[in-house]
This record gives sequence, C-alpha cells and structure tokens, in this order.
Amino acid sequence: MFFHIVLERNMQLHPRHFGPHLRDKLVSKLIKDVEGTCSGRHGFVVAITGVEDIGKGLIREGTGYVTFPVKYQCVVFRPFKGEILEAVVTMVNKMGFFAEAGPVQIFVSNHLIPDDMEFQSGDVPNYTTSDGSVKIQKESEVRLKIIGTRVDATEIFCIGTIKDDFLGVISDPGAAV
Amino acid sequence: MNSIEPFNRLVRLAARAFYDDVSMKGDNQPKTSRGDNRGMAVVVLDALTRRQWVREEDLAKALKLHSKQLRRILRFFEEEKLVTRDHRKESAKNAKAHNAAAAAANDGQPVAKEGEEKVKMHTHSYCCLDYAQICDVVRYRIHRMKKKLKDELDSRNTIQHYICPSCNKRYSAFDALQLVSYTDEYFHCETCNGELVAESDKLASEEMGDGDDNVRKRRREKLKDMQQRIEEQLKPLVAQLDRVKNLPAPEFGSLQTWERANIGAFAIGDPAAADSSRNSQGQYGTPMPFIGETKVEVVIDGVKEEGAESGKNGSELKVLPPWMIKDGMNLTKEQRGEKIEPQKLEISEAKDDKKQDSKDDQSVQEEYIKAYYEALRKKQEEEEAKRRMQQEGKISVPDSQTERQVGKKYKRDDDDEGIEWEEHQPTGNATETYKLADLNAEAQESGDEEDDNEWEEG
Repeated sequence: MFFHIVLERNMQLHPRHFGPHLRDKLVSKLIKDVEGTCSGRHGFVVAITGVEDIGKGLIREGTGYVTFPVKYQCVVFRPFKGEILEAVVTMVNKMGFFAEAGPVQIFVSNHLIPDDMEFQSGDVPNYTTSDGSVKIQKESEVRLKIIGTRVDATEIFCIGTIKDDFLGVISDPGAAV
Repeated sequence: MNSIEPFNRLVRLAARAFYDDVSMKGDNQPKTSRGDNRGMAVVVLDALTRRQWVREEDLAKALKLHSKQLRRILRFFEEEKLVTRDHRKESAKNAKAHNAAAAAANDGQPVAKEGEEKVKMHTHSYCCLDYAQICDVVRYRIHRMKKKLKDELDSRNTIQHYICPSCNKRYSAFDALQLVSYTDEYFHCETCNGELVAESDKLASEEMGDGDDNVRKRRREKLKDMQQRIEEQLKPLVAQLDRVKNLPAPEFGSLQTWERANIGAFAIGDPAAADSSRNSQGQYGTPMPFIGETKVEVVIDGVKEEGAESGKNGSELKVLPPWMIKDGMNLTKEQRGEKIEPQKLEISEAKDDKKQDSKDDQSVQEEYIKAYYEALRKKQEEEEAKRRMQQEGKISVPDSQTERQVGKKYKRDDDDEGIEWEEHQPTGNATETYKLADLNAEAQESGDEEDDNEWEEG
C-alpha cells in the first residue's frame, strides 16, 4: 500500500556546498540518500514529493559539517498481510517462484500454488496446468496475495499465495508473443 | 470418589490413545532382546489413576518394574505434563509420614513399607497425576493434531517451513531469498549446503517418496483419510473430555499439602473428619476461592451422614438460601430465613424457640450431637458464626461462647443442603486443626461484610 507521509531526517552537509545553492544541494542530496531506501517502519521510500521545512543548521565542531533537520513529504510503499499485489515473476524453481512488485521481493512456495499446476523443469522452468493453458515462468505477471511479511530494519520480504480466487497469471509472455 | 472417576477414565483413554506405543528405550542399548516394553506407559498411567501421591519406589514395587525404568517413564510423563513429581530428601520418619498419609487417603489400604526404618537421608521421588493439567494437555494435543492436518489440507500453514535433513536446521519461507541456489532448483542449507525439505511434506510423503507429479493430489487424499480416522478414533476421548469439562478437576495439591491434609485427618482419628477435610481442600479444592461455595458435599461418606441427619430432618428448620427457594416450594417462614429480627437478638429467646421447635426429637438430636460434634465442630462453629452475622446484620454484638452453643443446634443440617460456607477456610488443614478460635474470629468478621447483601436479596 502506498502512503504519502512526512518524514524527518538530519542531513549533514559538507562545508564546500555552503553558498547560494545550499538549499538545492541539500534537497538533491536528500533525494539521493533517501529514495529507494527501506525502513521497516514506513516501508520503501518511493519518491520525495516536497520539502516542508529545513531547520537551523548546526555546525559540528572539528569537522565543519553542518547538520540540518529536514522535513520532507514522500511516497512510501509498505506491503501488508492480506494485500493483493501484481508482481513480475523473477525466478521459478521447484520450491516455488519469486516475484517482484516494485522494490518488494515476494516468494510463493509451491504449496501456495494451485494444486492443478505442476512444476516443469527444463530450459525455462515453469508451473503449468495439466491442460497447458496457464503457465507461470520468468517474466510472467501474476496477481498474488501477501500472506506474510518479514520486516527487518532495512528490508521487507513477503510471502504470497496464488491459491485463491482471481489470483494467478494476468498475462504471460508466452501467450503474448 | 465419584468425581474422580471421569477423570481417571479420561486418563486411561488418553493413555491408550497417545502413549500406546511409547517405548522407553535406554539411550544406547537397543532392548530388542528383552522384548519391547511398549504399553508400559499405559500400565503406569493406569496405576497412577488408582493412587494419589505415591512414592516412586512403592509404585515400582507394585508394578514389578525396575525403578529406573519407571523413573524414565515418569520423567517422560513429566515432560508431557501429565504427572507432577516432587523430590525431597527425607529420613525414614518422613517416609513413614507419607505412608500414613497414603494410608489415610486410601481409606486404610496400607501402602506401608515398614521395612525401611533404617534408611538414612535419601532422596525420594513422589509422583501424582495432575488432572487439571491433563485435561488441558489432552485437549491441546487433539487441537494441534487436528489443526496440523487441517492446515496441511487447506495449505493454510501459510508460511512454509523447511528443514535441513542433515543438520536439522530449520528455515521458513521468509529465508527463501538466502536459500536459493543458482545451480539447481532446490533450497540449500546455509551451513551445510544440504538440500532442504519442506517440512509439512513430511507427514504424508513418508511412504510415497516426494517430488512426483501426483504426489500432492495423493497427499490430499491421504490427509483427508487421516483426518477422518482421527475423528473416529478419538471420539470416545473427546466425549470424555466434554464430560469432564465442567467438573472441577481433582486436585491433590503439592506433596506437602496433600500429606498434611491426609495426615491431619488421620491424626484426629475420625474418618469422617478425614474425608471431609479432604473433600474441602484436597479433591475439589481449587485455587479459586469461590469454587468451594457451590460445591455439593456428599460424595465420600454421604450415606452415613445423610442417614443420620434424615432422622431429625423434620425437626430442624433449615434456612434455605434465597437461590434455593422456588415458587412451588412449601416453606415456612423460618426456612425462608425470614425470622423476625428481635427473636434473633435475644440469645435466650432464640434458644427457647429452638427448643420448642425441636422438642419432639430432642433425644435424637442429643444423640446426633454427641456422635457428630467432634467431626463437625469446626465447620459448625464457622457456619454458625456466619449465619448469625447474616441474620442479625450489623446489629450483632461479637459472638460469645453461649451464642455459639445455640447456633450449633439449628445449623448442623446445613450439610444436607449441600452448601458449605467455606470461602474463608484457610487452605492448609493444619491451621484449621490447631487454631480453632482464631479461625472463628476471622470467619465472623469476613462473613459479616460479604454475606449481608446476599441474604437481603432473598
């Protein structure tokens, strides 16, 4: 799920940036530092949409660095248990398959794949129904439901299932060609 | 001992259901030569249902088992939470004390081993079934069995677990990312690089080798079948659990309290006292203070007591508690507890009243008093104290000895009603025996505050 929230961060700026463009520099550094990171609490920071407030800088003794408390608005993505996501399959093996929904990695283990889909090893390992009409392989797009998340300080990993109504392949590259 | 019987049945059923094929092998020696000792566990549990706290050596002797063997089994049951054990260092004297208690508890079946006088300080182990816990354990076990199957059937054990067969390290699906190997399509153990097996597969895949196409389908069938069989085979056990659910579990307390309870009763030398004390604290006594209130005290020597009391049944008007009075009942005012206040206030008056009421059966009463005074004195005094409190309300002056005498007469058939005013009894039997006076004082005070309201409702 996506959220638009305000976060705060203390930015350290090197003294060489002090000058007329200090503010711009600060914002670009903030974007570089923060976008794409993941915090366990808020999820992945997808994009910074604006800077609300930059506080008074504090010069650090000895180094000359200045610390600015910066408040910024950003879009975060945080997967939740029970959430339905669309994801791209990145790897298929006997134990199940891995998929990615943006920055989030999701693992779907083989017993959470419908019973009528069988694993086919070979050049392109895939899960296929007995009549061959549905196939999950690398690059397939699947809709899945998250049934568990493991949230570390800097990482979120999910477990998904496609064993439910309306879940499964939404377009597979083989059929599209 | 009616109330303990369903629990014993539960234990026996559970033993046969779950511990049937537990074999107590020694750690290193395969005991094939001696024949397998499966079923031993059941025998031990059965034996324990017929005992309360028992010294393990005695039990071993009774079962003709080697004490080491027995200890191994008991340790197993302790881990399974079916049995509580207690170990203590004791001399022959203490051991005898236990024997005495055991004898008292078994109503004279001596478990005694008098040959052990010479024992110095030895560590003795005692064991006893923990009925309350057994109920929980069995219920939990069944719940887990069913849940496991159900989860597997619906694949609801959402988070798959993997286990390394070689080093037994466990992983969950959350670790999947670290476990994938790019050389083949299995997960590999981080430490020993062995291939991981999905854990829940183990249940069903044992016989059919894993990994093949139809495995999952067949597994489902097998699971369903297993589920059915569980339902079927555990039906008696489940039924018994249901039956037992609302009964208070027999509780023997810790070894010390049990011993004290039984010995205390034994020392008085009055079987009735022994039994009643056990009733009140040992068997039904639960830690919850208010359970005791509603208990029906009949079981052990109900016949005796009831028989005697029925003799003077008509003479004595019992005050029924409000909750026992129903519309259709044909009661006198006194039975309803609606006696007129002033009557109560005057001790002498009350006395006279009583005498008139019961004049006819005076002699019977005297007999009764003599016979039962010893056994029931404590209870009576306490109840009487409370009763007075209830009836007189706050007006009452601290009870004097004479008042108590009066009370004794009309309150004794309370037992018939199955009510015990026991909330205020201390748990230890010893205190009860030795500190009669103190006990009374306490009971009076507390009875005053609490019971007042109850009686005013009616």
